[in-house]
Amino acid sequence: MEKFEGCPGSRMMNFKSSNENNSEPMVGKIKSQLTQWPIQMHLINPTAPYYQGADVLLTADCVAYALGDFHREYLTDKSIAIACPKLDQGQDIYLEKIKSWIDEAKINTLTVLIMQVPCCGGLLNLAQQAAEGATRKVPIKYVVVGVQGEILQEEWAAA
Amino acid sequence: MEAYLNKGIKDIIEEFPEVEDVLNDYDIGCGPCNVGICLLKDIVAIHRLPEDREQQLMARIAKAIRPDQDIKIPKIEKKAAAQPREFKYSPPMKKLVDEHVLIKRWIALIPEVIKNLDVESEKGRQLILDGIDMIRSYADKFHHAKEEDILFKYFDENSDILKVMHEDHTHARSLVKEMLDALEKRDPKTIAENLMAYRELLTEHIRKEDEILYPWMDNQLSTHQVGELFSKFDEADQQISVSTDKYENFIDRLEKKFEN
Repeated sequence: MEKFEGCPGSRMMNFKSSNENNSEPMVGKIKSQLTQWPIQMHLINPTAPYYQGADVLLTADCVAYALGDFHREYLTDKSIAIACPKLDQGQDIYLEKIKSWIDEAKINTLTVLIMQVPCCGGLLNLAQQAAEGATRKVPIKYVVVGVQGEILQEEWAAA
Repeated sequence: MEAYLNKGIKDIIEEFPEVEDVLNDYDIGCGPCNVGICLLKDIVAIHRLPEDREQQLMARIAKAIRPDQDIKIPKIEKKAAAQPREFKYSPPMKKLVDEHVLIKRWIALIPEVIKNLDVESEKGRQLILDGIDMIRSYADKFHHAKEEDILFKYFDENSDILKVMHEDHTHARSLVKEMLDALEKRDPKTIAENLMAYRELLTEHIRKEDEILYPWMDNQLSTHQVGELFSKFDEADQQISVSTDKYENFIDRLEKKFEN
């Protein structure tokens, strides 16, 4: 892995060699746990039936590529939306959609999955800002994923 | 040693009193527990000590039990990964921990309340009644009810640790009843004894919950269950409709009264 310099969000890194040493076998075909469409934050309707009372994942775009066991460990039994806090335009719309999840769809929990790069923290901030503006309160969990797929932090945020 | 791992801690302490001191050295306060039916192996596992400390603890217990023998220490299967003793609670557990704060402020005032006990004047009796109301309405109806009616239902209520928690709640209720009877008889000695017993019981009970039970429960609960608990606690608070402001004002007043 190369030295971590410059913007960590776009800094080039190559960890091919460390992955080659990974002796864990990839056994069996993993069935997709996705139970809805669409999933991109601009495309979703926050009051769609699959969000009603659901445990919702708000996932940074890169997470599902970095986290090897994303479907089994995190997506199972959850509804999802994906976004990029660095590149996506119109995030004020995201804010309103998250509020709508909480107040109208009456979601059960919100889990925000982000990468370790600093810009990804914006997605958690957005979720917390929306939660503060919502009438209902829901537990919010955040999971920070390392660029090589390791879970760096998994904690409940203050509701 | 294997046989003692599957034995209730009270029986072990009765047979080998030194074990209580050993446990205390590791912040495992089983000594004052009224029930003591938790098995030694469960107690060690649930405290999630770092491996070296756990080995050290087990060696000292083995020494207390069989001072003349070299005993092989069986490895305890941990119920959760070892973690530092800094607790990050889920929102529903945090709510219960936050409710403990007011109860702890009340029990900290009990020695001063006892020093100033007055069962003869109307004002003195009212202070005792207000304290009992705080225990009954806030600590029991508002707080313990959420545990008994909601939280504990997510776990095996026949497990030793939940039996201990239920037993503590029942014991606290019986102490309150004794206080009320003693107040009617204008018997300050019995009121003081029961208030002190309540203080000791709740101090230990809250410590067990904050440091052992709730972190352990958080490890067992799924994300979905945490969300459910959070909603159910909110609904229960609305249904029970206890004015937390009233009890905060009561404690504020008492703290001011006894501050010097």
